[in-house]
Parts: sequence; structure tokens; C-alpha cells
Amino acid sequence: MSATDEHADLLPTASARRTWAVLGDGVRRSGWGTLLSLVVVLIGSGVGLIAPWVLGAMVDDITAGAGLDPVLRAAGIIAAAAVVGGLLTGLGGWLVSRSGEMILARLRERVMDRVLHMPAARLERVRVGDLLSRVGDDVAVVTAGIARNGSDVVVAMATVLLTAVGMTALDWRLGLAGLCALPVYVWAARWYLPISGPYYARERVAMGERSHAMMGALRGRAAVRAYRVEAEHEGRVAERSRAAMDITVSVFRLLTRFGSRLNGAECLGLTMVLVTGFWLVRGDLVTVGAVTAAALYFHRLFGPMMFLVMNFNEVQSAGASLARLAGVVDLPEAPEPRDAREPQDASVRVKAVAHRYGPGAPPALDGVSLEIAPGERVALVGASGAGKTTLAAIITGLRVPDEGEVHLGGVPLADLGESRLRGHVYLVSQETHVFAGTLLEDLRLARPEATEAEAEAALARVDALTWVRALPEGLRTVVGEGGHALTAEQSQHLALARLVLADPPVAVLDEATAEAGSAGARRLERASLAATEGRTTLVVAHRLTQARAADRVVVMDHGRIVEQGPHEALVAAGGRYADLWRGWRGAPNP
Amino acid sequence: MLKRGRAPRIEGDHRVSDPAPVDVRALARRTLARNRRDVVLGVILLSLHQLAEALVPVAIGLTIDRAVVTGDVGVLALCVAGLLTLFTVLAFAYRVGARFTLRATENEAHLLRVEAARRALDPRGERSGLRTGEVLSVATSDAEQAALYVRAWAGLIAMTTAIVVTTVALLTIDVPLGVGVLVGVPVMMLLLRVPAAHITRRSEAKQATAAGATALATDLVGGLRVLMGMGAREAAAVRYRAASARALRASVSAAASNGVYRGVVSAASLLFLACVAAVSGWMALQGRLSIGELITVVGLAQFLAEPVQGLGMVGQIFATARASARRLVRLLDAPDAVAPGDRAPEGDAVVELADVTYRTLRGVDLRLEPGRTVGVLATDPRDAEALLELLSGRAAPTEVEGAVTVGGVPVHDLDLAALRAAVLVEEHGATLFEGTLRTNLATGTDRDEAHLSAALRAAGAQDLVTGHPDGLDRPITDRAANLSGGQRQRTALARALAADPPVLVLHDPTTAVDAVTEEAIARGVSALRAERVPVGATLVVTGSPALLARADEVVVLIDGRVRGRGTHADLVRDDPRYGEAVLR
Repeated sequence: MSATDEHADLLPTASARRTWAVLGDGVRRSGWGTLLSLVVVLIGSGVGLIAPWVLGAMVDDITAGAGLDPVLRAAGIIAAAAVVGGLLTGLGGWLVSRSGEMILARLRERVMDRVLHMPAARLERVRVGDLLSRVGDDVAVVTAGIARNGSDVVVAMATVLLTAVGMTALDWRLGLAGLCALPVYVWAARWYLPISGPYYARERVAMGERSHAMMGALRGRAAVRAYRVEAEHEGRVAERSRAAMDITVSVFRLLTRFGSRLNGAECLGLTMVLVTGFWLVRGDLVTVGAVTAAALYFHRLFGPMMFLVMNFNEVQSAGASLARLAGVVDLPEAPEPRDAREPQDASVRVKAVAHRYGPGAPPALDGVSLEIAPGERVALVGASGAGKTTLAAIITGLRVPDEGEVHLGGVPLADLGESRLRGHVYLVSQETHVFAGTLLEDLRLARPEATEAEAEAALARVDALTWVRALPEGLRTVVGEGGHALTAEQSQHLALARLVLADPPVAVLDEATAEAGSAGARRLERASLAATEGRTTLVVAHRLTQARAADRVVVMDHGRIVEQGPHEALVAAGGRYADLWRGWRGAPNP
Repeated sequence: MLKRGRAPRIEGDHRVSDPAPVDVRALARRTLARNRRDVVLGVILLSLHQLAEALVPVAIGLTIDRAVVTGDVGVLALCVAGLLTLFTVLAFAYRVGARFTLRATENEAHLLRVEAARRALDPRGERSGLRTGEVLSVATSDAEQAALYVRAWAGLIAMTTAIVVTTVALLTIDVPLGVGVLVGVPVMMLLLRVPAAHITRRSEAKQATAAGATALATDLVGGLRVLMGMGAREAAAVRYRAASARALRASVSAAASNGVYRGVVSAASLLFLACVAAVSGWMALQGRLSIGELITVVGLAQFLAEPVQGLGMVGQIFATARASARRLVRLLDAPDAVAPGDRAPEGDAVVELADVTYRTLRGVDLRLEPGRTVGVLATDPRDAEALLELLSGRAAPTEVEGAVTVGGVPVHDLDLAALRAAVLVEEHGATLFEGTLRTNLATGTDRDEAHLSAALRAAGAQDLVTGHPDGLDRPITDRAANLSGGQRQRTALARALAADPPVLVLHDPTTAVDAVTEEAIARGVSALRAERVPVGATLVVTGSPALLARADEVVVLIDGRVRGRGTHADLVRDDPRYGEAVLR
């Protein structure tokens, strides 16, 4: 069993053609930089050809019995070529990396932009793990590929190309002899690439499963021990580790067989150059020096050729990641309605809304209608699965209901458009996330232009300023992943302070205040009352004290509204809510 | 220091059960020892490969000297045959040698990984002082990198072979020239290492900036639903673009340093070649070298750079392996957190604390009998934590005063498996595992569907089954990320109920559920525990009046001491502080 069984959508992966198109688009946008860098690399590789050539000429001079001068001249030319070549190599490598990094940066920004602006309805269906691996692993793999190998690959390709040109320039027959190796290289690559690709894909999956097993077991160590399932989890780690290892070993087997074929190509090419040279020298068509230079050229190719083909796997995995990134780039953007309208006021109207999660599932909402006046505070009460959270999600536009309509300030939700909608209605959900960075940066996500004083005022409003000031560096304390760990109560304080900063007309609260324990929960309840004062507020009441504080209590059951009215009236009426209230207070039920 | 030398629990793979290494050196030694065959064969063959690589320039020189210059077809045929043989050996040696080396490395990484997982999961716990995240990275990346010892040794020996062969070849041709080349190449490499080390450090720091952008991306996406709820997606996009631009500047500047280095290396090696060419050309003019020897010397001078550079890489691999091995040993050799005994509970699983002082607890008395439910209200979370540590056998005996017994036997004399079979402590926020709802629930002896469904119903979680097409087989992702907080909590509770232990200890089991469900859970849990044969004992540490109201006895812990005892109703009536703490 693995996470891949989940009934959720995977993000698309682009086809090879589309991936190239996205890449080509990046190259075009980078302007002259990419072209210039390629030219510099080519010239640099060309300068690299000088040394073997000069050495060959020197061999001829010595054979002809020349003096010391030609030898010294040859050494001088090599030295000059060394300096110029070094300069060009360094410059070319830098330019290529620079272009690559710029193209990559633009690509990752586009990917992140698409992910961040994914339509709400799609986001609900998408697997977070998939999203995370796109913006995390895939970007990292492509980055590493470009930073570590990108320029080397380009330089190696240029070297191979120009060396072939150089050999042909010495003598076309020698060039042709060297080219005999080419079909073998091609044959080897055509054998290797199609069969290795699936292996690498399987290896990646296997490694992912292995780390899943390991992470699951180690993060849940306490539970593993409590349930005495250590052997089971260790067994799973061992089994997946062995499976991944077996794949790695067979991939490598394949790679080394490929390597042997490349050695064959080297052997064939070198032999052909020497044998051809032998007959050409015998026929007085070329000099021994030319053959020497050709053999040196060919020997010089071993390194770059090996580098290129042995890095195929990295290139391939960078390519696979690139295709996954390109797939995200091609996601459609959330459509903004053409004639978007401003909400007239802070009212909320839900009209005969029905929704179910997939065909055959029981209705999550079944004909719910609800009107909330501007500034009114309404609490939703009901058991898990009664439809409270679904209703909250529909009102905030995170889900599109199967039937019925939602109007905010008199405007149908679909006509508002994403940005207006988000400015109008604010959701504090059950998920709390403390964003990595300073506390101030976290708060500024809600309002980027907020000053420090405004941030402090927001914290003070939800009664969080005291503990924030007590942190090691106050507002500048780094929190979130890898930073100062906040308690659940503090994280929720922070979520409420963000609400105050964002200052929306309508607030929907679906937080799990009880997580903080009784005393903390009471503090949080006061904080949330303060944060939502004057706003139209819909509270999914996890604690009935939240319901008591509301203007109106709406009791839900099986996707329907079964009771509603002010707290006191419902308690007095002695219906379902009254029972709940007694049970909540710990008074024994009849 | 507590007991060492854990008994291995997995049979069948004898190599997994080697004793834990006490230091880095022992780990390295064990690595080579238990992969002996693969390492030795790999080293021999890779050395042979390097030897063959070194002989390629020699072969080129010989062919030109003896065949091309003389025009002798017979010699040419011999030379071609020689070349073919050389390449056959070269290819074969690499193919087989590299496979042996890789297999040894991968096998070692596998063994270390499993060993690290076993140590981390050991029921006795460990005192490595590593945090969970660190343990995770030790068990994954460090286990992999520590295995690089195999590759480092193979590389070291093979590169040394190549250098020795080149040395012999050069000295055979001409002693002063050979010495010059042999001194010149390493000196040049050493000189280049100084800027290289500097540049590597700088570029690593810059790469860290680049990694920072990725970390920001995953953090923002992890909180994407929160961002959406707060309408902050554009703000997040702006922040990411800024980080990405910073990363770009850093990488481009790192690429600049790398470019400088690359240029210097290229220039230096060609300059060196110019010197070799000048000297050997002069010698050839004087007749001290033949043309073929001249070519061989030039070829070898170029080739020598490879193994010398390779040695530098080997040094880096050793450093990486050593650093990882150090962290790994810290985990593998960590002392046990507890030293369990070997006794089993005697008679009924009665849990008793008599005048216990531990951490924040002061002289606590508590008795839990089969068929009873005890509620504990702890105003300070640290008191609750300490109580749970005592009951799960995680408290170090030296820190505990007073007696904690289960079935009449002191908890520290109990065998851990026997203790955990008798007392199940379900922690607050306990982790669920990747798999299905069924695999998560089925940890006890009774795993049939009716039993699991009853547990789900009691935990108020039946909607997880009815609301999903796959029912009990609905998938659960890692850490149950595909469930809501409330669903996770109820599933964990159902798991504890399904395990059906004689003594069940729950900690705040209903914090993420709403009032209505909480009431249903309180009812369901007491009914299910009462149905157990023999009847079960339940201890609930909670602040929820709904749960406390159903306990036979409530114990009130304030500042580590028992400040009240009685039924919920009595306490509400008589103790204003209790009312203040639980009534909401």
C-alpha cells in the first residue's frame, strides 16, 4: 500500500515536446545571453585544439631534424593557448551557468505562481505531497543538474564537436577514421536510453517508498512502541530498502554494460585513426606529426564523451523533473469573471445548497439555506460529519456546491472573482500553519504593507502581545520550520492576529480552539471574539461556549439545519441543542 | 550508562545482527569486514582498470614509434592486437569492478539503514540526544553516506595504482624527465587545491542560499490552504519571487567563482604541458627520446592529472563518510533510555502509584482496578506528561521515588513487551501510519471487521468508513495528512480501543472534536470498555467534563499534588476550583 493509491488528482506532466517548448521559450526570453555564452564556449573549445596540433607539428619538426627554435616556438604557442583557453573556459562556463540559472529561476517562479494561484476547487482535490515534490524536489533536482553539470555538459559537447572538426582539418581521411566510432556511440546510446529510462523511474519510486516507510516509522516512534509494532515497521523499512537497492544494482549493471560499449567505441576509433594514419604515412599523404595529433585528439575525447554519456542519468532525471515542472506551468489559471462586481455589504446568503463528496456518497449538505445579516455572529453546531466544515468551505469558495448558490453582499460568489472574494471573506481554518521566517514576516502575509506598530496592535487586539514580547527577539523571532517552536495556542493567536491585520468584512472561523486545553481555549475564545468584532462572522463551534457567545446558533445534523435561534431561546426550548448544552457542561444526561 | 548489546530481532540476515560499532573506526572496519569479498574483488579490478587506462597513452606512443614511423605491417598488426587486448581488459575490469564496489556500497547502506531504524525504534528507547528530525536524517542520509567508505577505499587504491604505473612508465623512459613530471603534477594539483577549497566553501554557502528558496517554496505550499483562506496567495508569490531572485544572484556569483577556478585549472594544466613539451622535445632533438617516447611522455603527463585529481575526490569522500559515520555511531551506540526487567504482571492488571514523586509530581497516590474508569484532571500539562511517562515505563528508575506497580510488580521489573501488552498509553496527537484505515486499526489480536467497526463507532469515527467508497480500506497517507485533525484524533482513539488492552490510558482524546461528538465518544468509550472480557480498566487524562462525568473517580492534580478526589458531580458541587477548571 502506498500513498499513490489515494483517490486524488495528480498534477499533469508535460510531454517531451511541450517540455522542450517551455525550455525553448525560456531560452528565447533570456535574449542574447544564451547565444553569447555558446559562442564563447565554442571558441574556448577551439583554442583547446591548438595544443595537440602544435605537438603534432613539433613531432614533424623533430623528425625532420630541425633545431631547438621550432620546439620552443611550439611550447610558446601552447602556453599562449593555455592562457587564452583558460580565460575562455572560465568565462564560457560562467556564462552558460548564468543563462541556465536565469532560465531556471524564471521557470521556478512561474511554477510557484501557478501552484499558489491554483483554483480553490482544484486545490481541494490535489495531493499536497505532489505539490510539495514539484516545488521542492523537482526544482532542487533541476537546480542541481544545472548548477553542477549544466555548464560541464555544454562544454563537453562543444569539445566533442570541435575535436571532430579539428581531426578532419588535419586530414579528412583521419577525420573519417575517427568518425567510425560515432555509430558505435549512437548504437550504444540507442540501446541504453530506452531500457534505462523506466528503471530510473522505478528507482525513484522505490526510493520514495523507502523514505516514506522510514519517516512514517521514526516520526511515529512513540506509537510504534506503544502498539509493539516495531518489528513490523522495521520489516517494512528493510523490505523497501532492499527493493530500492535491488533496483539500484540492476540500473548500475545496465550502466556498466553501456560503459563497456563506449569503451568499444573508443577502441574502434583509436585503432582506425592509427591504422589509417599508418597507411597514409606509408603513402606519404600525411606526416607522422599529423597522425600523432589525430591520435592525441582522439584520446582527448575519451573524457568528455564518457562524461556526457555517464551523466545521461542525471540529465534524464533533470529532464523528468523538468517535464513535471512544465506540466505545472501549463495549468490553467483561475478565470477572473469579465464583469466582476463589488459586494454591496457584508451580508451572506446561502440558497438551497446541496453537496456530496463523489457519487454514491451520502449528502454532506442537503438543501441548506441560511441568511446572515451584516455584522451578525452565527455559530454552527453539530456532530462531526453534520456538514459544518463543508458549509464553511462553500461560503468561502473553497468548494463549489453541486446545487444552490451563495451570495456575498448580494453578488453571486462566482461573479466576484478570486481576488475580490479573498479580500472580502477570510477563513481561519482548522489547519494552522506557522510560516517559516520571523513573526513579523508571518503577519505581513496577511497585509504586506503593515508596519511594525500595526502588527503589534493586531497582536494586542487578540491579547498575544505579551507572549510575543517575551520571545527571544520579539517580533523578529524566527518561527516555523526550523525556528522557535510555537505552542498550538500561540499558533492560533497568530492566525487570529493575521485576521485582524487583513481586516475583512466577513470572517469564517473553523479553528479547533479546544486543542489548547480548557484555560487556553477560553483565552482563544476571547481573542477570536475580539478579532471578529464588527465583522459578519460564521463560527464553526467546536465548543458550545462559542455558540453561547453568538447572536444566533444554527444546529446541523446530516447536512440539514435542524434548529436555530439565540442560545438562551434554544436552551429554554429543551430541544436537541438543550441536550447538547447539558452534556457539554458535564451534567449527566437523562 | 545502561545496558548495551541489544539482542537482534530480525533473523534470516545474519549480517544485520553485528554488534553496534562503538566508534567511527569500528564502523569503518566493520564496513570493510562484512563486505570483504566484494570490496577486495572490486579494488583489484578497479586497480586493473586504472592500470589499463594508464597504458593507453603508452600504447599510442608505441604504435606510432614502432609501426607508423617504420611502416612495418607485421608490427602494426601486433599493435592493433595489443590495443584490442588492452581495451578488452580495461572494459571488463571496469564493468565487473565497479559492480562489486557498488554492490558493497549499496549493501552496506542498506544494512546501516535497517540497523539505524531498528535502534531508533527499539522498545527500550535511546539517549542519543538527537531530535526526531535528526534521527530521521541519520537513518536516511547518514546511513547512505557512511557506506561511502567502500567507494573511498576502492578509489584510494585504484588511483594509487594508476599513479604507480605512470611512475614506472615515466622512469623507464627517462629518469630526470620522469621525476620532473612526477613532482610537477602533484605540486600543481596541491597549489590548485588552495583556491579550490576556498571556492568550494564559498560556493557551498551560496548554494545554501539557493536551497533557502526551495525551503520557502515547500513551506508556503505546505500552508497553501491557510494562505488561500487568508487571501495571501499573491503576498506569498511576491515573497517567493524575492527569494528566488536572491537565490539566482547567489548561484550566478557561485558560478563566477567556479568559472575562475575552472579557467585557472585549465590554464595551469596546459602551461604544464607546454613545459613538458619543451623539455621532452629538446630531449628528442638530442636523441635521448624517440618520437614514440615523446608522445608517451606527453600522454602520460596529461593522464597523470586524472588519478591525482581523483585522490583529492577520495579525500572528500572520506571526509563525508567520516562525518556521517560519527552521527550514525551516536545513534547506534546510544545507551538505552530504560533498563527493563523480565517479569510479567501477576494476577489482575491493577495499576497502582503509591506516594510517587517524579518530575513535577509530588507524592501521588492513584489506584486503577479492572472495570473502573479513572479521570485525571491535571491543571499543569507537565503533570500529565510525567504521569504518562510513568505508566508507559519510559521514566528512568533512578528518577522515580515511591512505587509504580502493574499487577503487583514494580513497573521497572516488568518485561517491556509484557508491560505494553498490559498497559496501552495512547499519547495525545499520536501518529497514524501510511497504509489503510484497516492496517492502522488492526494492531491488536482481534482484527476482524466487526471488532474494528465497534471501535470506530465508540470513537465516533464511523463516518470515516461510511463516507468513503473504500470503507475500512480507505487509504491513509503518511501521518494521515489526508484526514482532518478531528478525523485523525478519532482514528487514533479507535485504534487504541481496537487494541483492547487490559489497561487503557488516554490523554486528551477529544480536543479536536466538537461538543456533540465528544459527548458521543464519552458514551461509546465507557460502553466498549465495560463490554471487555475480562473487564478493562481505563484512565483518561483530560479536561473535558463530558469524559470526566463518566469516570467512576476523578483525581485532581494541581501543582503536582492530588488536591481532590471524587466523582465529577461531587467535585463540581463541593470544589469551586474544580468547577473553575472544567466548566466552560
